[in-house]
Amino acid sequence: MKNLIIALVASTFSFAAMADGHAEWWKKAGAPYAGTVLQGVAENTPPGQFAGEVLAKEFEALTGIKVQLENTSWDSMYDKAIKDMEANSGIYDFVYIEQDIVYDYLNRDFLVNITQGLANNPDLQAPGVSLDDFTTFIDYFKDGSGDVFGVPMEAFIKVYLYRKDLFEAADAKAAFRAQYGYGLTPATSFDQYRDNAEFFTHYCADKGMECWGTTVQGHTGHPASTYEFLESIGPSFGLYNWGVNMDNYHSCVEDGGQLNGGRAKAALNFWTQLLPFAPPEALQSTWSEVGASFAAGRAAQGWVYGENAAWIATDAEKSAVVGNVGVMLPPTAPGVMTQAASGNGYIGYFDGGAYGIPHSSKNIEATMLWLQYVALNDHQADWAIAGGRITHKDTYADPKVLAVDEQADGYFSLMRDTGFLYAGAPPFPFHGAGRGAIDPFIYSALAGEMTPEEALDGACKALDQVMSDLGYQG
Amino acid sequence: MKIRKLFGKILTTLLWSVLTIITLFPIYWMVLVSTRTPVELFGKPDLSPTFLNKIHWKNFTKPFIDGIYSDYLINSIIVATSNALLVTTLALMATYALSRFKLPGSESIFFWTMTNRMAPPAAFMLPLFLLFSTVFKFGDFTLFDTRIGLILLYCVFNLPFAIWLLKGIIDGIPKELDEAMIVDGANIFTIFWKLIIPLAAPGIAVTSLLSFLFAWNEYLLASTLTSVYARTIPTGLSEFVTTTGTNWGTMAAVALVSMIPALLFLFLVQRYIVAGLTFGAVKG
Amino acid sequence: MFSNNRTGWLLLSPTIIILLIMGLVPFFYVLYVGFFKWNPLAVDPSMQFEGFGFNYRRLIFDEVFLASIWRSIKFSVVTLFFELGLGFILALSLLSSFPLKSFFRGVHTLPLVIAPIVVGSIFKLFTVQGLGPLPHLLKDYFGYTLNYGLNADQAFWMIVIMDIWHWTPFVTLTLLAGLSALPQDPYESAKIDGANNFQIFIYITIPMMVPVLIVVIFIRLMDSLKIVDEVWMLTGGGPGYATRFTGIHIWKEVFEKRFYGLGSAMSILYLYITIVICWLLYSVMVSRGKNED
Repeated sequence: MKNLIIALVASTFSFAAMADGHAEWWKKAGAPYAGTVLQGVAENTPPGQFAGEVLAKEFEALTGIKVQLENTSWDSMYDKAIKDMEANSGIYDFVYIEQDIVYDYLNRDFLVNITQGLANNPDLQAPGVSLDDFTTFIDYFKDGSGDVFGVPMEAFIKVYLYRKDLFEAADAKAAFRAQYGYGLTPATSFDQYRDNAEFFTHYCADKGMECWGTTVQGHTGHPASTYEFLESIGPSFGLYNWGVNMDNYHSCVEDGGQLNGGRAKAALNFWTQLLPFAPPEALQSTWSEVGASFAAGRAAQGWVYGENAAWIATDAEKSAVVGNVGVMLPPTAPGVMTQAASGNGYIGYFDGGAYGIPHSSKNIEATMLWLQYVALNDHQADWAIAGGRITHKDTYADPKVLAVDEQADGYFSLMRDTGFLYAGAPPFPFHGAGRGAIDPFIYSALAGEMTPEEALDGACKALDQVMSDLGYQG
Repeated sequence: MKIRKLFGKILTTLLWSVLTIITLFPIYWMVLVSTRTPVELFGKPDLSPTFLNKIHWKNFTKPFIDGIYSDYLINSIIVATSNALLVTTLALMATYALSRFKLPGSESIFFWTMTNRMAPPAAFMLPLFLLFSTVFKFGDFTLFDTRIGLILLYCVFNLPFAIWLLKGIIDGIPKELDEAMIVDGANIFTIFWKLIIPLAAPGIAVTSLLSFLFAWNEYLLASTLTSVYARTIPTGLSEFVTTTGTNWGTMAAVALVSMIPALLFLFLVQRYIVAGLTFGAVKG
Repeated sequence: MFSNNRTGWLLLSPTIIILLIMGLVPFFYVLYVGFFKWNPLAVDPSMQFEGFGFNYRRLIFDEVFLASIWRSIKFSVVTLFFELGLGFILALSLLSSFPLKSFFRGVHTLPLVIAPIVVGSIFKLFTVQGLGPLPHLLKDYFGYTLNYGLNADQAFWMIVIMDIWHWTPFVTLTLLAGLSALPQDPYESAKIDGANNFQIFIYITIPMMVPVLIVVIFIRLMDSLKIVDEVWMLTGGGPGYATRFTGIHIWKEVFEKRFYGLGSAMSILYLYITIVICWLLYSVMVSRGKNED
């Protein structure tokens, strides 16, 4: 809440500052569409709230075009956007495109080509807005010829978070060295990660504290767990693209895939063996609960989504560990980092989303104005502070952002410097169906009903079945 | 004998006391959660009534005063009351027709209308979405994201139930009374107003209560078929589950407030419930 | 006037119109889609006609689907058993008077007015590890670890308990309505004949209550076979498949995996099974009603 107020005040100042320059242009450009109401659907995230509460109001004051953003839950948002676009019912003028669904939308030609649209309507091209201002994250929303179909509004990397106070405690350091024979530091290898997890679980228990060695995003009934495995743990072990062979769309080792291969098995074994060192709610934890657990001080380390890293480190109203949060790149298997750096792999997940315009929208031009407003450099800094996300290259250097960056142990700098090592979801139009097929096996592995080997064998077969049913195996 | 009775009473009171505690315990916890800040919810759950000392009012003001939940609340009230009214009226008309007139095939029709309530909702959301957004189009107006759309849709689930509830009661009102009134020159409205409604009061009360409750509590269809304007409270509840942590305090606050109108309605029709719930199974 | 059926049909018509348009049309749509292979994520996202071939034939041998049906039926029967038992005892007790009776009855009815999704949230708040008081209480006083994210049986029984908490008041009130309306003559004759309370209960109360019991079973069965909201909030269908009842299974197929054709076929099949079960009950109800006339 405090952040939102700061953002509101700051934006009024920047609004006033802009008033000299381009306000006239926006008013003129918006005049033919004044009074229109633009309807959008998005996932309920702090960046989304900023867009709906702050940016929308500014835009309306400037242009007379009203923007209404329906912020809803993750599954509901997809469902309604897809239904609207399939049925061509023209309900939504802009939709949230999460990075992993963009391939599906592009495949089905749901979205308006923004680059083309602006080229065809030079009057709509807003001054001070350039699609080149964006970080490379915008590449996910381009088609083969480099045209842009979505304007990024949030981007995060999934990082390794650790408790500085626990890792720097003198008695912890001494006890760790005595037990394991080397120095206690945040993990740079998987063995060290496991040792840290085991150590802190006992350390906390001995001291009667409610904390454990690691978080595990292991909900046994929600896709979040499958995502942690496929997006973070797997890639850090060298399992890319869900182990799917991109030439023949098979995922089992017998057919040229990797999903039940050595790396995948190592990853799933490592991950499930962390469960004894995780807080008991781990098996009911999606990304929200992992953030909450860490913020409650219940874990010494963990893979945590970037959008949580910022508020966990700085917001005292919601976090009990403000000031004690360290941010780092997660551990990776030998060779993975080099592969990622050379563009042949990746170490984890580049999360985020964009706003796009469905063809079925009845107000395409007015919406293009809105999306360009969203893309303005001017309010990116406040947006970054409010939502913990950065989509523009210049934002990293903004003094306000640098201040927060310091508090958040350099999360933003880390994203700037190492973002290129991360990747979004693989280009699978069948993403939802495929992941849905893998889900039950991950759940069973987590619940101990199957060994990781059995789970992966089952998962790759189920995934292959889906790819076959949907026609991807040719 | 008297001691046996006393012992029985003590046992019964004990049983009901335990039951009351079990019923109220989770709700008590929800009240506690709604009065606390997110940070206070961490750590070992504190069961003491901290709300006697301190209430985190922001959990209540943020959604209702700063936010749009008061709109959602109003939408819910409008949809639920209108639907209850509509269903009760239509059901009265329908059961009267079924009871007094020979309408062939009415019993089978009745069962098949109940099948709507038996169907798993997930698959039906798509056809309903299409119906609302593309088929029922009158110029720019569609049924999507409208309160009237929900009101009409909920009839599908509430009407068969209402007819079932009322039929036994209407059947129990002798036809001779109608005929006597007709002889005296009454038209159908007078028959309804002076005869049917007063005698069927318990059934009407229960019907309107159950219809109200269904419309008030319905989540799946409302979340699919509304967007910004016609959103109801249960749909709004799902908005608290975000990527950055479920906002339990606010969610509990909204859930608590959403229970109030339903409770009020229940309180109003309390004394009719038992009489009205016979479903025509018992001749009473 | 009563010989003129036109008034009758006129009175009935608004009901029929609404039910036809909003109820029957979507049903036929789902029936229609069930014959198609349709997934918008596929290489060919259009609807491809398959007849019974792709969806129905596959479903009949689909272990996961069949298991979910079995699980749903098991869930419904188990909860019904407990709700009937508990509801009957409570209804009987409400026939006599005891202190604070109105208060107790009022509180008992409270869960009935709470939305299913709120019930799910209440129980999640109350029982989830890390936040809820129940796991702590069970651990501290009984040494019992409650973690239904891990333990399939615990997850199943947690949902059962939640359903009982939510719906027993309905059973209690309906049975109470039935009990209150029972004629007194058979009881008086029985007392004169010297029967004791137990015999009266078995040979008089229960037989006379059978119509009401069947109604309650019918309604509860209909609703519990398609439970979704509460389970979704509490376990999401987990751990693994433990609480993946058919309603949830269809949800996942349609929403997460976008298999519209398959999901529609599943819904039709499941609806068919539900109808068969309910039709049997309904016929018994109707025939009993006719017998008593």
